[in-house]
Amino acid sequence: MADKVFKLTGSAAERLAQAAGSELPALECGRLHEIHASADDRAAAFAFALCGSDLRGEPGKPGAAVFVQMARAPGRAIPAGDGLALLGVPPARLLFVETENELDLLRAGLEAARCPGVELVLLDTRGSFAKYDLTASRRLALAAEQSRCRVIVLRQDAEPRPSAAQTRWAISSAPSHALEANAPGSPAMEATLLRWRNGPAGRRWRLEWDGDHGTFRDATDDTTHRAPLPGTVVPLFGMRESAEGGGPEHTRAA
Amino acid sequence: MTLADARARCPSLATRPADPALDSRELDALVRAMVRFTPMVAADPPDGIVLDVTGCSHLFGGEAELARQAVALSGYTTRHALGPNAAAARALARHGGKNEDVLALPITALELPEEAQAALRRAGLRQIGDLARRPMQTLAARFGEEMVTRLRQILGEASSAIAPRRVSPPIRLETRFPEPLIRTDDALDAIEDLLEQAAQGMESRQLGGRRFTVVLCRSDNARRRLVVDTGRPERDPAAVMRLLHERIDTLSDPLDPGFGFDSIELGVSRTEPLPSRQMALEGAAEDLTDDLAALIDRLSVRLGPNRVRRLTPCDRHLPEVTQKLEPAMRVQAGDWPNVQDRPARPVLLLDPPQPVDVVAGVPDGPPLRFRWKNRLHEVRLAEGPERIGAEWWRKPTGHLAGEKPPTRDYYRIEDAEGRRYWLFRHGLFEETSSPRWYLHGLFP
Repeated sequence: MADKVFKLTGSAAERLAQAAGSELPALECGRLHEIHASADDRAAAFAFALCGSDLRGEPGKPGAAVFVQMARAPGRAIPAGDGLALLGVPPARLLFVETENELDLLRAGLEAARCPGVELVLLDTRGSFAKYDLTASRRLALAAEQSRCRVIVLRQDAEPRPSAAQTRWAISSAPSHALEANAPGSPAMEATLLRWRNGPAGRRWRLEWDGDHGTFRDATDDTTHRAPLPGTVVPLFGMRESAEGGGPEHTRAA
Repeated sequence: MTLADARARCPSLATRPADPALDSRELDALVRAMVRFTPMVAADPPDGIVLDVTGCSHLFGGEAELARQAVALSGYTTRHALGPNAAAARALARHGGKNEDVLALPITALELPEEAQAALRRAGLRQIGDLARRPMQTLAARFGEEMVTRLRQILGEASSAIAPRRVSPPIRLETRFPEPLIRTDDALDAIEDLLEQAAQGMESRQLGGRRFTVVLCRSDNARRRLVVDTGRPERDPAAVMRLLHERIDTLSDPLDPGFGFDSIELGVSRTEPLPSRQMALEGAAEDLTDDLAALIDRLSVRLGPNRVRRLTPCDRHLPEVTQKLEPAMRVQAGDWPNVQDRPARPVLLLDPPQPVDVVAGVPDGPPLRFRWKNRLHEVRLAEGPERIGAEWWRKPTGHLAGEKPPTRDYYRIEDAEGRRYWLFRHGLFEETSSPRWYLHGLFP
């Protein structure tokens, strides 16, 4: 019953509720999202983009992830299939597109965002990325809305700029909890919400990889440095919910 | 004769493993080559070719001369024979001696099962002629219908038709204009008309094109060739037109009609079977893959097929070759091997691995600090080494000491800022005196 009332009262009530809780807003379907990270943290940003999206191993969904990158970028890194598979992202769904210049990158990204068979478009950019202005981001956002795919612009070493994005994040790697024999622990990152159209921004979360659930989970309040107990937490992103319903309920479930 | 026997008799014998697939391809190529003698050529697998030379031999100076030329063209040591029909010629070539008398052929020429042949031999029948003199009814009653059918085919009483290889005509259309077309848009309309005609032709033959070639002939004899490739067989004119528009947009020098285009040719140079599609009632999933294929085609035409790629797994050891990026137009998405039991792997691989300066506590231990891109990273946590040996079996002399490529020791490192890296030392200390260190991957 409460759910229903909630849904009907619309976005204002939802915003209040979101402000009250400290749940992390998911990367919604059909929206444009921005992720800011330094070039050294791009692996964390990449993992956040993929794991916050709906790519995780649902066999029936044929959607592809299109990863658009500049060819000849300095210090070029290519996605590694084994690492992706370990994160639960099927590498076969990844389409790797390289372009000569920024304009082609935007065009390819826009075309992919308009394609109904695509589930996630990830634009990997670096530096100022002058071609990405309000108009360009609005175009991407409209394309995303129409085809219900996520468009994520990964901006490395860049200043935030006004755009039509639904959420803007700053991602950086966080120290992990050491395993025995001083081995690095499971992946961890700091996610700062710089801007959110549906609620207040500025909060910060610490996310840790939860191998039992195959997802990142909110570990902000973990003061005790121990491995998470299995079955105790709700997964961070409501993948399946977002795939079916999207919208407000899913944000709450997250 | 067994291989050991053969080797004992001829020590210098060269052997190769049998490859039936390659043999059949070679036979197919020979059949295609033999079309120069007669249009009626059929393969007689596994190792024969039947040519119907009726009415063709005078062009080559007689049957014997034609046979000589055909043998010379094949380039193999062959046996050949001429017969009044295909079955007789085949029997003569495979079982015949010097003369061309089918009646003198041994009964093995019937190619019956071993027990049937034994039965014939027991009855004292050794040659085709022995059988031909006897009434067919009694032979059929005693030795079976199949034997009589073969016999009648060899004697020419029953037909032994061959199934000649037919070359389907290429799909090629041309349109000529009474007045040269000055506007490029008109030329594109004409191309669309041609594509529609080609689509009708292809639909009746259940074909789809993988490569479409348009040649625009200008009135001053300049020819402009536009080629588009598709990832899947396609015959929808609208889809091909979209790709052609992409191609025209990416031309380095734009399409210039000059004094106008005289004629336009359209060729579909690569075709693949494409069955007619039934309208889907609830097949939304199929549509999505269609859309993705169309996207891949469009991006491949605009950016080049090597710019739109997919990850494909390779069964190799070194991290940079366990996967390959292959053009998405050529490979289909496949399953990835199960990696859940494997050690941690980065999500991003640096290509190529970047050299770093490392200070290690003990020579073959993990690094204490490393310098990458002029920044010093203090190592807080380290795990390793995970030793990955070089693939010595890929080099002919790779197993010899000194020839072996260096072994790599991989370490998973976390620096003071919490970033995780994948570093490796290229070479063990027994292999090189001062091994280099490289950064190969980034963990989330």
